[in-house]
Amino acid sequence: MTWRSQSNAVLRICWFNGFLGLMRSPLVFVALFLTPLSFLFFIYVLAPRAELPFGVVGGLLFSCLFTGSGMMNDCAYLRLERQMQQVIITSPLRPISWVLGMALSELVFTIPALVLFSIVLVLVVPISLLSFLALVGVIFLTWLLATSLGFLLSTFFRTLREIWPIGMVVFTTLSVLPPVFYPLGYIPGSFRWVAYIAPSTFASQLAARAAGLPAASVPASPLLSSATGELVGLVLLTALFIGVAMRFARWRDP
Amino acid sequence: MDALLAKSLSKTYHARQGTVKALDNVDMVIRKGQLFGFLGRNGAGKTTFIKIAAGLLLPTFGSMELFGIDVLRQPREVRERIAIVPQEGKPFYHLTPREHIEEYLRVRGRAAEAAKSIADDLLQAMGLEAYSHIPAMLLSGGLQQRTLVAMVLATGADFLFLDEPTLGMDPFARRQVWDVIRRAGRNGSTVLITTHYLDEAEQLTEELAVIEGGHVLYKGSAESLKSKVRREVRLHFDRGFTSKELESFGEVYSERGGLTLMTTRVHAEELTRAALERGIAVNVGPVTLEEAFLTLVGKSIEEDEPGGAWA
Repeated sequence: MTWRSQSNAVLRICWFNGFLGLMRSPLVFVALFLTPLSFLFFIYVLAPRAELPFGVVGGLLFSCLFTGSGMMNDCAYLRLERQMQQVIITSPLRPISWVLGMALSELVFTIPALVLFSIVLVLVVPISLLSFLALVGVIFLTWLLATSLGFLLSTFFRTLREIWPIGMVVFTTLSVLPPVFYPLGYIPGSFRWVAYIAPSTFASQLAARAAGLPAASVPASPLLSSATGELVGLVLLTALFIGVAMRFARWRDP
Repeated sequence: MDALLAKSLSKTYHARQGTVKALDNVDMVIRKGQLFGFLGRNGAGKTTFIKIAAGLLLPTFGSMELFGIDVLRQPREVRERIAIVPQEGKPFYHLTPREHIEEYLRVRGRAAEAAKSIADDLLQAMGLEAYSHIPAMLLSGGLQQRTLVAMVLATGADFLFLDEPTLGMDPFARRQVWDVIRRAGRNGSTVLITTHYLDEAEQLTEELAVIEGGHVLYKGSAESLKSKVRREVRLHFDRGFTSKELESFGEVYSERGGLTLMTTRVHAEELTRAALERGIAVNVGPVTLEEAFLTLVGKSIEEDEPGGAWA
């Protein structure tokens, strides 16, 4: 198959797994909004008004990070329960095209939430076009990172029962515990570097910068707490996750 | 050129509970364009063989070639030429049978027009026309299985691996699927099919192999397997004979509340006469492939007592 055919195949997978999946299971639509909107609601009710933009940016990133959870669930389900991954990859389609098609289809599920949070963000924070494009770039990198991780994890499951607990641990650790919904400044200064263990912290800080939100008064470290440092960190981690996913993704069981 | 060539193929599964040899030094040749059957009990090693051949599983030892291409070293080249119905696979729950066929063909690089035309033909041939616009989640298990088989057969791939393709289908549907599989064979595809329906193997395959405990016990035609057991006739007695009385005439096993004996024509005549004299009802018929299979595998079990059951 030529590159063009592979690209077409990626779009076909995105179409039948993403668009058709969303159109025929509208409840997924609601489910994806529910958690970030709940967080936003509590932030709106309980936190000072100044923290609301952090909640909105957090909602954007949370939705994006959860494409990783969706990727993990769908890939594991299609491989273990329905065995459709085996059917699809025993074909001229390159396995990487399958992964990309699945990642894009997960993005389709998330797009409505991303659009909603973007609208809310524009309403609560004055944001320039350039800043918005920077935010889109951060979201793109976060999507790549989350879906690579999701796919990698999916290849290691042997039963469907393992998915739920591991998914909860990994994606909650990535999206709720680090400063995604709250400012980094809430973490005591001497412990802020710990937050950067989670790749999502790089994304959230970059997103906060792009949205023009105030940075923490005490930086985690001069290297980490700069836009360049965070961007390099996010790009490197994304590349690392993609590389590891491609290297260890198990097309063949050992 | 052979379509499939396996040499000294072995696969050992390691688990906490122990080690199980699913395939043990298996040699196998399947000719191009052949409809080949794989028979064996659950856990005999059939699916393991298919997974290795389709590049989905690494063997512990040995080699596997498809059309002269090394499956282990050149999986990408092999994948270009194969398609697989996995054992107990299920279609995408939200797609219709038509979408399954068309989208799978498009993913494999076929043009939209060609995909539609093939889908029209396959849906009709597989009896799926009336269900072509219903999402798979609303279809019965048998119709879902037909959808999965249809999408794979639609590819017309050079080598089709069908692991229990008619599982859960009614007898009418099975025959429709057989026709489409035969047509794939006529169109040049090589087909490796595993099944627990012995009539299916007999009807569909030109050659078959019986596998048990990771070993190939037999390879040849269904007819020669039946003759190999050196029993021509099966007799069934509802009552009147004990197992001990019949043992000296051939293989005896309990069935449907009575006793079934597989024996020679001469013994069959002798026992039929004796039964009539005693006023005992007797049912006489030729030995079926199922009985030949049971005899062959039964002997192997008695001789080897193999270990646990693995896929």
